[in-house]
Amino acid sequence: MTAVESTQLALPGFDAAKQRWEDAYTRQLPADSDVKRNRSGIEIKPLYGPDDWDGTTYLDTLGFPGEAPYTRGIYPTMYRGRTWTQRQLIGLGTPEDYNERIRFLIDNGSTAISLLPCNSGFRGLDCDEVPFPLLGTCGTVVNSVDHMDQALAGVDLASISTAMNDPTPFTLLAYVLGVAKRRGVPFDKVTGTSNQSDYISHYVANHMFYRLSQPGSRRLLVDHVEYCREVVPNWNPVSVVGQHMQQAGATPAETMGFTLSTAIQYAEDCMARGMDPDEILPRFTFFFDVSISLFEEVAKFRAGRRIWARIARERLGAKDPRSWRFKFHGQTSGVDLTAQQPLNNIARVAVQAVGGILSGLQSMHTDAYDEAITCPTEETARIAVATQNILREEAHLCDVIDPLGGSYYVEALTDQMEEEILAVMATVDAAGGMYEAVGSGLVQRMIGQSALAAQNRIDRGEEKIVGVNCFQTDDDGVPPPPMRPDADAMRKHVHDFIVFKEARSQADVDRALGQLRRAAQGDTNVFEQVVEAALVGVTHGEIVAALRDELGFGDPLVVA
Amino acid sequence: MTVVGDDDTASTASPGDSLFDRLRRGDAAAVARALSAIETGGPQADVVRGRLQSLDGAARVVGFSGPPGVGKSTLVNAYIDELRSQARSVAVLAVDPSSPVTGGAVLGDRTRMGNHTSDPGVFIRSVASRGHLGGLALSIPSMLDVLDAAGFDDIVLEAVGAGQSEVEISHFADTTVILSAPGLGDDVQAIKAGILEVADVLVVNKADLPGADETRRHLEAMLELRDTVTSPPVLPVVALHGNGIGAMTQAIDQNHAAQDASCGPQRRASEALRQAAIAELTRRIAADPELDRLGAAIHRGDINLADAVGALINRAASPDERNQP
Amino acid sequence: MSTPLRVLVTKIGFDGHDRGSRLVAAFLRDAGHEVVYTPPWQEISAVVTLALQEDVDVIGVSSLATDHLIVPDLMEALCDAGLDHVEVIVGGIVPDNEIPLLTDAGVARVFGPGSSREDIVDGVEELGRSAQQRKLSRGGFEA
Repeated sequence: MTAVESTQLALPGFDAAKQRWEDAYTRQLPADSDVKRNRSGIEIKPLYGPDDWDGTTYLDTLGFPGEAPYTRGIYPTMYRGRTWTQRQLIGLGTPEDYNERIRFLIDNGSTAISLLPCNSGFRGLDCDEVPFPLLGTCGTVVNSVDHMDQALAGVDLASISTAMNDPTPFTLLAYVLGVAKRRGVPFDKVTGTSNQSDYISHYVANHMFYRLSQPGSRRLLVDHVEYCREVVPNWNPVSVVGQHMQQAGATPAETMGFTLSTAIQYAEDCMARGMDPDEILPRFTFFFDVSISLFEEVAKFRAGRRIWARIARERLGAKDPRSWRFKFHGQTSGVDLTAQQPLNNIARVAVQAVGGILSGLQSMHTDAYDEAITCPTEETARIAVATQNILREEAHLCDVIDPLGGSYYVEALTDQMEEEILAVMATVDAAGGMYEAVGSGLVQRMIGQSALAAQNRIDRGEEKIVGVNCFQTDDDGVPPPPMRPDADAMRKHVHDFIVFKEARSQADVDRALGQLRRAAQGDTNVFEQVVEAALVGVTHGEIVAALRDELGFGDPLVVA
Repeated sequence: MTVVGDDDTASTASPGDSLFDRLRRGDAAAVARALSAIETGGPQADVVRGRLQSLDGAARVVGFSGPPGVGKSTLVNAYIDELRSQARSVAVLAVDPSSPVTGGAVLGDRTRMGNHTSDPGVFIRSVASRGHLGGLALSIPSMLDVLDAAGFDDIVLEAVGAGQSEVEISHFADTTVILSAPGLGDDVQAIKAGILEVADVLVVNKADLPGADETRRHLEAMLELRDTVTSPPVLPVVALHGNGIGAMTQAIDQNHAAQDASCGPQRRASEALRQAAIAELTRRIAADPELDRLGAAIHRGDINLADAVGALINRAASPDERNQP
Repeated sequence: MSTPLRVLVTKIGFDGHDRGSRLVAAFLRDAGHEVVYTPPWQEISAVVTLALQEDVDVIGVSSLATDHLIVPDLMEALCDAGLDHVEVIVGGIVPDNEIPLLTDAGVARVFGPGSSREDIVDGVEELGRSAQQRKLSRGGFEA
């Protein structure tokens, strides 16, 4: 936005008063004072006033909560009506280990659950085909309906929302549906989100979740949206993930730009299949990192809400206001956490979480303080949940909707971030859209340059990190012991899995895999066959292997 | 230990077995050490070059070149697969530019050539151009000799076709394949720089994309400007799916059929000599103060161009006489 | 200018977070060295082949999500291939109590979070020169 000409201000004496302050400021400022920029490269002034933002565009650019363009929040009541969902991302050990942990967290205030599978699962492998020492060290080993049943024992699927970290071809949702069927829960009562459905972000920024070739994933995501729309209508099949790009080094503005461009790509792919935007967009969700750059994050999310409302309506043609709402989950950023002086991370996470709450997020994960070193222990996970409880119950953060709205600084910054974000999106559009822009490596190069620039700022000491490049101590304290799964329990888990595979009907498995392959070769819905295969005991590794065979694995571009 | 070729005894070095003997048997570690010695220069490089002298060649050397983004690594991958299906052993030199500022390089090309690490019949080596050591024109022919001496059936030389040094490299190949592809912006611009002159086979990669026909017509139009009797074939290929690789391999085979592989090392030595001699002559002429004096004389009409050229070359050939007026 | 070192920067196991390995590759390139860079998820046998064919002096393994637990297997495989002169470093997240698991297996250095560009470049250069010396001391080509 352009700064308001002060002559327009109905404030007699403003210019003279401002001049007096500027003179005093310049006189008293230390000579070696640097220009300040935020992580997105926007220059930050020492003071903002009515000449930066005067509120005359209020109705167009801000409006009221629950009304387009939703800058101040997507619901009329926001946290007065219902506070954010506390959704801790959990994954460790065997399904029994996982079950024990989520019941503990639900007892301690969590209101929804999230499952992170073992890294071997992200690679599309079963537990009996990978190096044993790596099993369950970073996520839960879930390779079948039986495993999911154990993981969700005692969890009422009709009342608790379950987020699955589940890249294409979405086997975890298939196993959840298998459990629902066993327990007689109708599929339309199952609620939750397919996190990690954003295959583009995996290709670009977080290869950990990369599983199928880009063309194969592109088709499977549309199949998945189509199936959920008809069969699991209360499930959110699309979660567009900005987190990976920001963690890989994209600036907050780049992150929001790339993420919105990705959402446009997915929406247009579904619409090309004949879906109406108002049938799919209300079930689009977003997933972001919340960094410690507090005001920048608040501005990023407020600008993102405003841009998405406009895109959904004007570019995608959605008429239902529910399609215009930018619903997002925020995770406090692990990148800001340090392995040095690890208890300091409790303070960092609290500041990040405040930023997320002031941004009006819909659900939140707070990192445990040992997240920079290992998977959280029960005690560190409890502190992470307690941080959210304290902020909600004690800090009076939920009393006022969008409490930073109207701040000269925050409004001016929101406008500037919006400009930056739109510039990034224009670059992507010029490259032919997000799918093409990542295919050519453009996005990867931009992120790589930002990552290197950020590291250089830290190395030069321009960006300070306590315990890393300032206030270092020789002894960082005793780090918490890493969580490692019990080897005997894991060995038994693998053994039971092998026994299970031998006992199931091979004829059923072969038939289901045949149907899955034929669907992939033809043009019927592949995800429907993933669900059918899961129901007759086909394992995760078998499903992914068959689809890699048919649709290709490909290689994520390496742009060093 | 990984061993190239079919000789799986090479991994167990017997007593008295020299590093060069192991190289001759195709032992990957010995080959890798010899390549490093050549790259680094110094006494070990001289020893290796000495041992390579008078060895006959047998390998076929194919160069692949083209602008960035044209899909060279993918095409090389498909060509490797094709050669392996014929049970031929392959060595690849993948050349990447070094940073002119720091001399460093990130060599990532081989990761796009598919995964051949479990195949003992494929040896891939990433080469940084290391501009400061006098250019690739000196090290590449000797590196090819090393791979030839190690017994590889085929050697692939891959380089970004963006500059003069890559044109020079292509002269060391028995067959040079030049790639283009639609969608790289101005195709003609991307492929000029004299590189079309050295092509034995032209490939239009990504031939399934719109614009492929136009790219082919561009190339054919440019070929008509060459003053040679025969024009190289222009072949459509989709390297990603392996389409057209058979026809490309056939064209390469035909070009090789006209050459004697045993003379490879000698041809490479001649070419290295030619390039080195031209470089030295160019350097001497550029440094000769007589250049400007003769230029002025031509301008005045005191001497004709041909005589001036003769005079300048004579001076360059006998630099000792320069100081004598 | 001295001869550049050749360094393999890679990731084994399942994790795909490669911001760290890409940064380290850029640091070493900018310090004038030649970096053979791979995508994540390399098999241990593939790392051995790469190290052999590329004749590298140092292998840098980046690990964020417990992949360091199989680095001892890599060390054994390198030894079996006659590459015990090559220095191996691990960068990323390695809990203190698991560092001995790596150093006992022969890993030369573990670079934890907060290691500066200088720490890494200096460490790699020192180790690389000693790897080159060790290789030379075992004999070269004879005239």
